[in-house]
Amino acid sequence: MTTGTAAKPALTAEEARLLHEASLRDYDIQAHPHDYYRAMRKGDRVHFDERLGSWLVSRHEDILSVQADPITFSVNMGYHTQQARGMREEFQAILERDGGGYFPDAIMSDPPYHTRIRKLMENAFTAHRVKELEPRIREEVVDLLEKVADRGAADAVTEIAVPLTIRVIVEQLGLDHGMEAQISRWSQAVVAQISSMQSRETMLENAKLICDLQNYLIGKMKEREKAPREDMISDIVHARIAMDDGTTETLTFAEAVSLVRALMIAGNDTTATAIGNLFLLLATRPEVAATLDACVEDDRRLTRFVEELLRVEPPVRALSRMTSREAVLGGTTIPAHAHMLLVYGSANDQDEVFPDPRKFDMDRHNLGRHVSFGGGVHRCVGLSLARMEVKVMAREIARRMADIKLAIAPGDIRYVPTVATRTIEHLPITFTRRQG
Amino acid sequence: MGNLTVIMTDVEGKVHRIGNLDEGRNLMETAKANGVAGIYGDCGGGCACATCHVYVDEQWWAKVGEPDDIEGAMLDMVADVQRPNSRLGCQIRMRPELDGLSVTVAPSSAA
Repeated sequence: MTTGTAAKPALTAEEARLLHEASLRDYDIQAHPHDYYRAMRKGDRVHFDERLGSWLVSRHEDILSVQADPITFSVNMGYHTQQARGMREEFQAILERDGGGYFPDAIMSDPPYHTRIRKLMENAFTAHRVKELEPRIREEVVDLLEKVADRGAADAVTEIAVPLTIRVIVEQLGLDHGMEAQISRWSQAVVAQISSMQSRETMLENAKLICDLQNYLIGKMKEREKAPREDMISDIVHARIAMDDGTTETLTFAEAVSLVRALMIAGNDTTATAIGNLFLLLATRPEVAATLDACVEDDRRLTRFVEELLRVEPPVRALSRMTSREAVLGGTTIPAHAHMLLVYGSANDQDEVFPDPRKFDMDRHNLGRHVSFGGGVHRCVGLSLARMEVKVMAREIARRMADIKLAIAPGDIRYVPTVATRTIEHLPITFTRRQG
Repeated sequence: MGNLTVIMTDVEGKVHRIGNLDEGRNLMETAKANGVAGIYGDCGGGCACATCHVYVDEQWWAKVGEPDDIEGAMLDMVADVQRPNSRLGCQIRMRPELDGLSVTVAPSSAA
């Protein structure tokens, strides 16, 4: 498969075994992926994972090459091929029958169509606009932390991380308070569509949840169509897209539903994952907790802390592309119409780019080179909001909590079974309340 | 069509003299529209990615001015190539006193 001329470094027996036998479909690899990532980077940088049926792009430089060419490496084909993989027709038919329609993700598209859709989303999420949200985000963070602070114990994922990110997106979109638990279930059902891990039974359960979600969102959109408010659903329903010839167009109904749905999902699941990872590091790596304590009142340093957190534990492990033609990447020829995953978790762990990559070092001079938000035209559009939520959470944790410890054995931590993210399901912790 | 001009030296050393710019146009959009190598603008001008990093030529620095805290934090992410005259192109908007502004594109974190 590989035709590169450079000599490959020798693999250890274990690395050779992993390349030969392991798959990103294996739960143990998903939960503890770093050895597998290293084996790929060393031995087969663009690796065909047979059981997954996808080419895994493991090296930083190759991921940047793919991101720079969104026409050869199509997000539209990649994302929609991975959706309900192997059961796509049935999934689509269920949504058409019971969910108001099957709405392809307008943002998961290719230029030039993508460029117009993307412009609509960008203005909402500039770093300067997100800065204005900081006081509201802080109120929500403080409320959630105060609920558990005197108890000295909590599930950091289900009681803190997930509720925060859902509250923020409920407010931004203009959804109903009180729907948080339902929205969490709906989000998980949508995210599960790109997990490559669904049985038919779980696909059917999730498809039903997604139908409920779409019907709920469509109801909200119809309300805002008649009576706009100051929220993002109203913005999307009434959006005008500027065309090259100076005219404007509106979004189709299908596009608008897909964008509202994308905002709801993308805005909460991944950021909650990042906050879960934050708690895990604070509970298991005393040097990370000490580092946070030392920078908590310095906004610039705290921003660096968050960025290194995102590098060392990227919430999104891997996202899809599909070749629109045969392509050579890192010396490997990939056929046309092949499914690929850009393994961000591997690129962030590459020691030629980030020396001693497992070390938490917020003073790295090239922090901005991590690929946790992807890159190129598809770089995460909500990145400023995600950073802000994690930063405010880190600050308020450090002000309130000390001696954070795991309340379960590290080996008992369970991750959501998926190739797409590395998400802790539950994280029971204990801590003491910080005085003063 | 405006009457402002900017001169950008790209990462390959090519000098682009770009004229007829409207007031308010930012350097990232200007560079992308004119094929200036090394300017990506991934985040769309949201001051969130540092892929439109430029060095402002010394004689223009006082007029262009310092980055604000948000922009400064983003430039801090590319400390390996940051200089005292670093700015993000998306945060520099053309205005009459910047007519003739000269900048050099910094090595990108996206390549």
